[in-house]
Amino acid sequence: MNYSALFIQLLPEAVLVITALVLLGVAVAIEAKTGRPIPMDLTIVISSIGIVGAYAALNFCPTYPDSGTTMLVMDPLARVFKAVVLGLGLLAVMLPPARREIAQPGEFHALLLFALTGLLLTVGTTHLLFLFVALELASLSLYLLAGFSRTAKAAEASLKYFLFGGVSAAFFLFGLSLLYGFCHTLTLPAMATALKAGPLPPFAVVGLVMVVVGLGFKLAAAPFHYWAPDVYEGSPATSVALIAAASKAVGAVVLVRLLLMGFGDAAGSAAWGLMKPGWSLWIGVLAAVSMVFGNVLALAQSSVRRLLAYSAVANTGYLLVAISAHGAYAAGAALFYVVVYGLATFGALAVTAAVERDRGDDSMASFAGLVHRSPLQAVALLIFLTSLAGVPPLAGFVGKFVMFGAAMAASTTDGVPGLTWLVGLGAIMSAISLYYYLMVLKQAFVREAADAAPVALTLSHRLAVLVPAVLLVALGLFPAVLLSPLTQALLATMGGLE
Amino acid sequence: MTPAWTLISAFAGALLVLLLPARSAGLARVIALLASITGAVAAAAACLAKLQHPDAAAWSFERPWIPQLGISFHLAANGLSLSLLLLTGLVAVAGVLFSWNVTQRPRAFFAFFMTIIGGVYGVFLSRDAFLLFVFYEIVILPKYMLIAIWGSTNREYGAMKLTLYSIGSSALILIGLVVAYAAAGGNSFDLDYLASVRYAPALQSWAFPILFLGFGVLAGIWPFHTWAPTGHVAAPTAASMLLAGVVMKLGAYGALCVAMPLFPQGFAEWRMVIAGLAVMGIIYGALTALIQKDLKFVIGYSSVSHMGFILLGLATATHWGLRGAMLQMISHGIVAGLLFGIAGRVVYERTHTRDLTALGGFDLWRTLPGAAFAFTLATAASMGLPGFSGFVAEISVGIGVWQSVPWLIVPVAVGIIVTGAFSLRAMHRAFFPVRPAGIEAAPMLPPLTWPEISAIVLLIGVSLAIGVYPMPWVTLIDDGLKSPLFHSILSLP
Repeated sequence: MNYSALFIQLLPEAVLVITALVLLGVAVAIEAKTGRPIPMDLTIVISSIGIVGAYAALNFCPTYPDSGTTMLVMDPLARVFKAVVLGLGLLAVMLPPARREIAQPGEFHALLLFALTGLLLTVGTTHLLFLFVALELASLSLYLLAGFSRTAKAAEASLKYFLFGGVSAAFFLFGLSLLYGFCHTLTLPAMATALKAGPLPPFAVVGLVMVVVGLGFKLAAAPFHYWAPDVYEGSPATSVALIAAASKAVGAVVLVRLLLMGFGDAAGSAAWGLMKPGWSLWIGVLAAVSMVFGNVLALAQSSVRRLLAYSAVANTGYLLVAISAHGAYAAGAALFYVVVYGLATFGALAVTAAVERDRGDDSMASFAGLVHRSPLQAVALLIFLTSLAGVPPLAGFVGKFVMFGAAMAASTTDGVPGLTWLVGLGAIMSAISLYYYLMVLKQAFVREAADAAPVALTLSHRLAVLVPAVLLVALGLFPAVLLSPLTQALLATMGGLE
Repeated sequence: MTPAWTLISAFAGALLVLLLPARSAGLARVIALLASITGAVAAAAACLAKLQHPDAAAWSFERPWIPQLGISFHLAANGLSLSLLLLTGLVAVAGVLFSWNVTQRPRAFFAFFMTIIGGVYGVFLSRDAFLLFVFYEIVILPKYMLIAIWGSTNREYGAMKLTLYSIGSSALILIGLVVAYAAAGGNSFDLDYLASVRYAPALQSWAFPILFLGFGVLAGIWPFHTWAPTGHVAAPTAASMLLAGVVMKLGAYGALCVAMPLFPQGFAEWRMVIAGLAVMGIIYGALTALIQKDLKFVIGYSSVSHMGFILLGLATATHWGLRGAMLQMISHGIVAGLLFGIAGRVVYERTHTRDLTALGGFDLWRTLPGAAFAFTLATAASMGLPGFSGFVAEISVGIGVWQSVPWLIVPVAVGIIVTGAFSLRAMHRAFFPVRPAGIEAAPMLPPLTWPEISAIVLLIGVSLAIGVYPMPWVTLIDDGLKSPLFHSILSLP
């Protein structure tokens, strides 16, 4: 591969980095000239242009490689998810951080663009070392974003996020080194070939477990979720939105790539009565723990942000159910779900941010009478939360149903579906989740507000609320629009996996 | 007019109401009325067409939806669905008429109301398990909102309890459906296909109770019925009518047309348990209704008792039993709607109490004769007196019971007697109290309004029509029961 081809391959990332640098330059210039920080609106416009530019550049990237193994890949899966990450990133830019929280919007948005760059690179590689570096680029930017506002809570959140993240990165790296010791290669396809030779020796199993732990942190799977509630509560809404939506989606893609593509032969089984040790079983257990933990703890929350954090843990659980089924359709459904989950959580955070700025805190009581204060946001919140709870005709419902259906189908042997225990747990936990989402909606729709002063929104904030709501309805009615390309991409990428 | 117009009119009505500008909110009820009438007429036209040309090809509509999982947008209607569509249409029209005076946020009220109606139509029309589940769940959130915002006694509690029972039971349904889907090969959610697969007996014996219980909870199966009385009492009148009248029927319909055909051997194993729970429901519901102080609670528990007859009819696995269950669904839908309409709207709006003793002080037979007359007829229908729909239904279920498990007829008879007792007690104490002489006469109450009268006449008329001449309904139901779905059930030993 020559350098010009490499540059074309990295065009979207290059556009993002250049935009970030331009943004920093402009910010410095404006501050030097006027003595005041760059206006938020300008940074939003510049970052948006950069992201749209990166999306346009994505279309110039040729599919790569045609054969053989390389560090960078541009397979259908990478193409779809780079677009998804850019879309979620654009939404995050549209959701402006509170002005009193962020003193330097230029640096904030530049960091956001760097985080997106890292996430894009993570999606487009099958080389584990490169994967680690790309993940760290994204993570370091996210740690900073999490602590960007100058409040004690944000500092605490950022530190927790960083410490947990650092430890899990160490786990991930150590796991990779053990796997390298067994396979003598760091590219996933070659690892898959090496695995065909025989079962994993014990130390490679330890390596695989460590890798799963590292990714479990990224996805906020219980019991690696302890950072989530504090980060969701304390960090600026924009950072949380990015962590909850884009970063989680990328974590899911990496997990699917790594496990299904690289270690398909070490899956074992989580089917009832046929359990065999392997990642399928571990992921199944993580799924069960996450669903129970997330949902039960969410019941007790009074802060909506913390509630969304525990809901994130619970939703990771549903996602892992589908991944543990070890099938291309189930994994496709999981990736569909992670996107619609991201949209719904993003939207809910956007509404929460608006309410918080209006009322001063994110307690449930602050949502009282929202339907009178801002009908648009109340209806949007209804869409987001009911989508998370899995109520039709919204995309969250379709996602859950399709995930559970495909997971059951993939785990069926001799006419007996083996994952009934896990899917059944998921269905029941998902029913429980409606309770806490309804507690918020009850405030918004049933209770009356003390005063009916309308909640004001900026134009971009309004878009950040409207766009995900519309997308969730549209994807609920026409899920095949996204589900088909995802499933096709997985079938093409995984080749032969059914 | 195809049956699809029921669905279209309901959802279009909901959308139109929402899009009304705030200053013409008064138009909401008119739009809702027109939309419900359209739905009822479409359903009636489809029923008539079916009766005139019983052998004409059944209407159906199918488009692929999520091809990866074999999910299609498949609607079709047989005799069973058609008769229930008509029931839904009638209750919807009556519900709008009984809500004519809703002034608090009328647009949202009628939008939620029409969404429930649309969801119910959708369940009756779906021939794809996924689609059916979508419509089944669409109903849940509007139910919550209707009760929590416009309800009365303990509304937030009642709404939450009902919603959690609904969503919990649909989780069971989801599990049952995906088990069937996966065990059938994981390539189609088509109900007719799923029902044609022979599942392993071991699978059926655990999958059937999950799926049946999921539907059963919504049908008020004892001991999971407690959401029904609390929810019905907390709900505003139109919502009580819908809940008791048609939404509970969704559960019964799902049990009959999804759970039983999918896992017939599981059903054979469990049907005596179901029969036992059904009989418990009949007797327990009736006895509880006997000691209630609140008129709406009496009706709420009577619903539990009447729904027991439906489940019992299903459990007989005989042609008479299934037919009786269907007739009881229709009869109870009409009668429960009527009772809730009179108690919750006609009487409560004028007296602002539902307490039986307090109602006695109003001398309703003299001060509100129209309501007393209507309630007497409704009580007669509810008790299953000959000439009303309830009689036809209960006698059919009774024949079915006699054919399959003769001794069960004894507790059923006890249930019928207690039903008579609680119905007469409530009617007597609320409307025809014995008042000692010398007490000041209660003032006259405002007479019935036109919307109230038309709704009452509509519902009583239909109940009488079924009671006097049940043939059209029986023909429709028998046509539906001829479907291959029920072969394996009706041929059980």
